[in-house]
Amino acid sequence: MKLTINNKKIEIGKPATLLEVAEQNNIHIPSLCAHPELTPHGGCRLCIVEIQDRKGYPTSCTTMAEEGMVVRTDTHILQKMREELVQLILSEHPAGCLLCEDVESCSNFQGTIRKVGVTTGCRWCPKDQDCEFQKIVEEFEIKGLTLPGLYRNIEVEKYDPFFDRDYNLCIYCDRCVRICNEYRKSSVLSLKQRGNKTIIGPAFKDTHIDAQCEFCGACVSVCPTGALSEKSRKWWGLPEKYEASICPICSLNCEIQVLTSNHKIVGSLPPGKPHDSGGELCVKGRFCLSELLNRTERILEPQYKFEEGYGIVSWDLAIEKTVEILQQTKPKRAAMFLSPSLSLEEVSKAKYLAENILKTKDITSSVVDENLFAYMRLASHSVSKKELEKASSYVSFFLNGNYKFAPLTMMLKNVASKGLPYFQIGWAKDTTSRFATHQLIPTLCEEHKYLDQIIYILKGDKKGSAELSDLVKVLQNSKPAIIVGPEVISLSNCIPLLDKINQISKLTNAKLYLPNPYGNLNGLFASIKLKRFKDIDKKIKDGKYDLIYLIGDNPFNNRPKVKHIIYQNAFPASSHLDPDVVLPTAIWGESKGSYMNTDRKIQKTKAIAKPQGYSLSHQEVFSRIAKGMKFKIPEFKIKDFGIDKNLNPLKLKAAKKYQKLGIPNNIFPFVLIQEKSQHLYSNMNLSKGIEGFGELVKLDTIMLHPKDAKKLNLNNNDNVQLSSSQSEKSFPIIIRKEITPGYFHLSLSNGNIEFESNPCAVNIRREYV
Amino acid sequence: MNNFVKLKKQSTKKWDALVNSGEAAIYLGMASCGKASGADNVKKAILNAFDKYNVTAKLVEVGCIGPCYLEPLMDISVEGLPRISFGNVNEKMADFLIRKFLVDKEKYTKKTLGFIGNKPYDGIPSFFDHPMLKSQVRIVTKNCGLIDPENIHHYIANDGYAGLEKALTMSPDDIIEDITYAHLRGRGGAGFKTGIKWRTCRDTKSDTKYLICNADEGDPGAFMNRLLIESDPHAVLEGMLIAAYAIGATHGYIYIRAEYPLAIKRLHHAIGQMRENNLIGDHILESKFSFDIKIKEGAGAFVCGEETSLIHSIEGKRGMPRTRPPFPAVSGLNGNPTIINNVETLGTVSHILRNGAEWYRSFGVDNNFGTKTFSLVGKIRRSGLIEVPLGISLKKIIYDIGGGTLKPFKAVQTGGPSGGCIPKELLDTPVTYESLATVGSIMGSGGLIVMDKDTCVVDVARYFLDFIQKESCGKCTPCRVGTRHMVEILEKICNGEAEPGYLDKLESLGQMIKSTSLCGLGQTAPNPVLSTLRYFRSEYIQHIDEYYCSAVVCRSLIEYSVIKENCTGCQLCVSVCPTGAIVGPRSEPHNLDQDKCIKCRACYEICRFDAIAGNAIVITSKKEV
Repeated sequence: MKLTINNKKIEIGKPATLLEVAEQNNIHIPSLCAHPELTPHGGCRLCIVEIQDRKGYPTSCTTMAEEGMVVRTDTHILQKMREELVQLILSEHPAGCLLCEDVESCSNFQGTIRKVGVTTGCRWCPKDQDCEFQKIVEEFEIKGLTLPGLYRNIEVEKYDPFFDRDYNLCIYCDRCVRICNEYRKSSVLSLKQRGNKTIIGPAFKDTHIDAQCEFCGACVSVCPTGALSEKSRKWWGLPEKYEASICPICSLNCEIQVLTSNHKIVGSLPPGKPHDSGGELCVKGRFCLSELLNRTERILEPQYKFEEGYGIVSWDLAIEKTVEILQQTKPKRAAMFLSPSLSLEEVSKAKYLAENILKTKDITSSVVDENLFAYMRLASHSVSKKELEKASSYVSFFLNGNYKFAPLTMMLKNVASKGLPYFQIGWAKDTTSRFATHQLIPTLCEEHKYLDQIIYILKGDKKGSAELSDLVKVLQNSKPAIIVGPEVISLSNCIPLLDKINQISKLTNAKLYLPNPYGNLNGLFASIKLKRFKDIDKKIKDGKYDLIYLIGDNPFNNRPKVKHIIYQNAFPASSHLDPDVVLPTAIWGESKGSYMNTDRKIQKTKAIAKPQGYSLSHQEVFSRIAKGMKFKIPEFKIKDFGIDKNLNPLKLKAAKKYQKLGIPNNIFPFVLIQEKSQHLYSNMNLSKGIEGFGELVKLDTIMLHPKDAKKLNLNNNDNVQLSSSQSEKSFPIIIRKEITPGYFHLSLSNGNIEFESNPCAVNIRREYV
Repeated sequence: MNNFVKLKKQSTKKWDALVNSGEAAIYLGMASCGKASGADNVKKAILNAFDKYNVTAKLVEVGCIGPCYLEPLMDISVEGLPRISFGNVNEKMADFLIRKFLVDKEKYTKKTLGFIGNKPYDGIPSFFDHPMLKSQVRIVTKNCGLIDPENIHHYIANDGYAGLEKALTMSPDDIIEDITYAHLRGRGGAGFKTGIKWRTCRDTKSDTKYLICNADEGDPGAFMNRLLIESDPHAVLEGMLIAAYAIGATHGYIYIRAEYPLAIKRLHHAIGQMRENNLIGDHILESKFSFDIKIKEGAGAFVCGEETSLIHSIEGKRGMPRTRPPFPAVSGLNGNPTIINNVETLGTVSHILRNGAEWYRSFGVDNNFGTKTFSLVGKIRRSGLIEVPLGISLKKIIYDIGGGTLKPFKAVQTGGPSGGCIPKELLDTPVTYESLATVGSIMGSGGLIVMDKDTCVVDVARYFLDFIQKESCGKCTPCRVGTRHMVEILEKICNGEAEPGYLDKLESLGQMIKSTSLCGLGQTAPNPVLSTLRYFRSEYIQHIDEYYCSAVVCRSLIEYSVIKENCTGCQLCVSVCPTGAIVGPRSEPHNLDQDKCIKCRACYEICRFDAIAGNAIVITSKKEV
């Protein structure tokens, strides 16, 4: 296709908009609302052009290039109109800088320390120097306003976590709305109201949390002005470096880029150009990583428990004391706890230490219980995500994709909106539910029977309900994929349920996909034959150990009865643990390491920032200990890491035992679903460690649907008494639209289920004061 | 088809029984205009009178016949008399008429407006010789006010669905050929040729095509579509069927404002009747043609009259326009080819099919064939719904049909807020799409707002622009921000705070908004300002330089005062003044304190109209140089 732009003859192959064609041929057309990832909008009107034989001034972003077009992008009249358009936007957008007498010298006198949220000078816009509108104003060399200011005086919205919204700075480019709807498919944002009252936000004045925003941050990334700004790096200015890395929080290990400023990690983004982010990450990868790193509650110095109390000591002394303890410990008298957030290198060195120095095989992790074992067994049959994308129908069991597994939930949304069948089986109303072709809620507290029915129908033994027959029909007539959410791990009948799911997958030849919520759990399972935490705990109580060595992991609130405890972590333990030695360590981003993800792919991270305070990387701690004990720990090498040998699919034992659960009745009409915390890093619960995340996933708080709350006459933060047939406990409540009516949801801060079973039939009443 | 013949016979029989049987019948105008003037009460009075005098007659609720200023209109027909019409009927008069005609059996023709029908009666003029109706050509509004809109038989008996019957015997291409030859142009305002639009859609390959009837009539002072649907819904629905058949659509929508409850009710009712008679749904009239219509109620956004916004609204999205091309005829609702036609366009289609394109071309002038409905409102003697052949001059509409203004005429606004003000000097302008554009206005959907010397054009421009500004969807910069600046400037002019150079700024802003806005709303938004600046610049200058508002409208530029000689001292103004600005003892001339006066007009109104008051309060605007 041939066309002419500004007398330049241009030939193009693929269909493209005039703006794209111009850009490819180095013809600059100013624009604000156009964005390479998004559908054309045509709102800012800056990219107007003149086309021969066409009426008016079409916008180049919305006009497709056509054969023989003769286009002018730079005529005097176009420039004049563009300038007037910029003036129009400027009249709404705060532009004091342009009029200020001291604008030239202003930035030279900005030597004050910028405090978070405090205005220093007039340069109070968080996107200063990174603002696309600022660049446009500079491009047009505008030195003053031709129209009176129409400042909108809209209150800055700060009540949602992670990002602030100052719509006074908004230029209505609609990028945030489009990326939210088109790319992430969250549909949280929309233009609202009309005329000069037009504003962007969720419908019905909902908060972003209530509108089920996933806090993927895509809107913040694409915002050309300072209207949307990240709370945590609002005042850091332009990042200095963008370093490629991976996210260590869950087993998907998403690729990310890490932003540094002043040698500090200040933020993280999905890969690609910083302003092109499509929101591929979940809230943890997008917003939580830098907050986790820069937490004030890090352990910064080694400590030793002297007789008179704890004292900060030098590393040399701390290592000396550690070595002493290790040397005192007799073979098989030590237990080691490893965090699933440790890298493969760290795990292999810890394993060497345990096996060769402590001569023990009692290595465990606080998250490892029977259910997790079963889950990981089934997970060893899991296919890669690429393979998963090739399926032609999808069924998810007990998946709650809220605030996690963004690539997976986005894939499900995409395939479902393309028209492929997607069945969601479970109680959770997550971000994918709206896209599910069918949402099936299993019979309450008899979930295994529900799955049995599916098996019967699959085998042709029985006829089932219409919805189950639909499901079976789809399973039999397509290439199905089955996704099992890690929420199943918390259920009482987890093992039988997994067994049924396995049967279903075998009967239908379905692909399995089981993501787990812990950063390197796959690597940990592949490296070490872990013991069950329950067994180790019993041995501790029986006095079988002299030493507990906690590496990034700690299941104890109080000091267990052992002679010595070594605590090696970046985050402090509870004050009652009372360890003998505290060894502060670096975390992800401060040390390099390799992680194995759900696809069993090993990815490396590098040390981007320096460890905080006097902390050292785990690996450095291990080698110092080795040096003190005069031996050498062999270096970890990926090629020695026998993936094939270690990752043969594990055999599943057929489950026989079911726990009988109380079915909801008149006395206990509601169903409580409990969830063991799945948002952990190095034993730090993100809900506790990161304030914003704590608002999203409230721990030890009953979440219920507004309908139920209205019925029960309950308000946010009310305290309620929850009773089951066997126990009674009190909790605060929070009302959330994402909960299915009739269900309560409880995220637990510790690893134990609070009631006799999960799910559990309960009743609720307001706590008497 | 056989069934339709049967249906037609049945309908004719029913219609004949009403019109020709000699049985007494009362026809009451019950469209919105009638109801607004109290037709509901008149209906009650009629029913009461039936009881009271123990008489009975068929009561037929008809739509709007046109002269809304005469509503409630009540027609009565008895043995030996044609249907004769009475205007401005109140409860008392209804009672009186029933007594005269049905009890006393008297042929009371004294106050009648004329007879309706084809059986003249001595001494009574034809209703359609009424000066307001004489110059009109009723095609689209042919049945309006004559038949019961809720009775499909009335419509069918009056040639209803004959157009569809004919269309189904033709090939879709022939129909499009006919419409193209008839040179029917979109009556929504833009005047795009309907035939060409249909052709584009027909030629676009797609399994699903949509036909949408745009009944989102949002212009202030426009009610043509509303009254047409309320008075003759089947005319529009028949047009939809024909259009759908021609373009190959299987699904149709009527996008109608939720503020038109009566029209919506009548549409639902009409569609129900069509379903009963196999005129909608699968295999319409036993043909291969299947089509169904859904009614989508708009939530009251002006911009949703714009076709791409309208499509977004039906799709459940925010009503917000997008850039064309692609035109909806190629890619519209849900990405499928979609034709969006105005109510009146569709209403015309059935008549063209029935009577032929050649017949249609006999009305109007070259390039502007046929008729156009207008809602004639404002400072005019005879307001209402009118239908005139295109090419008629504005003067004829205003003076012959409308009867002129009470006070000296100043201007007429055509095309609603997107149109322009046309001054007296240009009243000879013929009403065609092109000529209205050359004088800086547009045809628009058909609002004609007449202004006299009491109307301040600056205030009118401010009003329309403020309306547009508030209805802007906010998507594109010039429309969202530009119109706001224009409103601010106009407000300053009205408040006497303007500075030199404001008019140039208004003009340059207006031109810029016109050329850079995304959709028709923004592109036409500055029209009221630009046209008034063109014809009434002196009035703007008076406002700016002399702080003088000749129409005494702009509140900051006027003053209320009491003419001592006329004041009767009745104290009525004192009692209505909300701020205590007027004081004075009984029977003595009152004083008005300018500082306290908030110019609410309460004293002026009461002094002007109350019997004991002396019309002593005057509003003046002083020239300050």
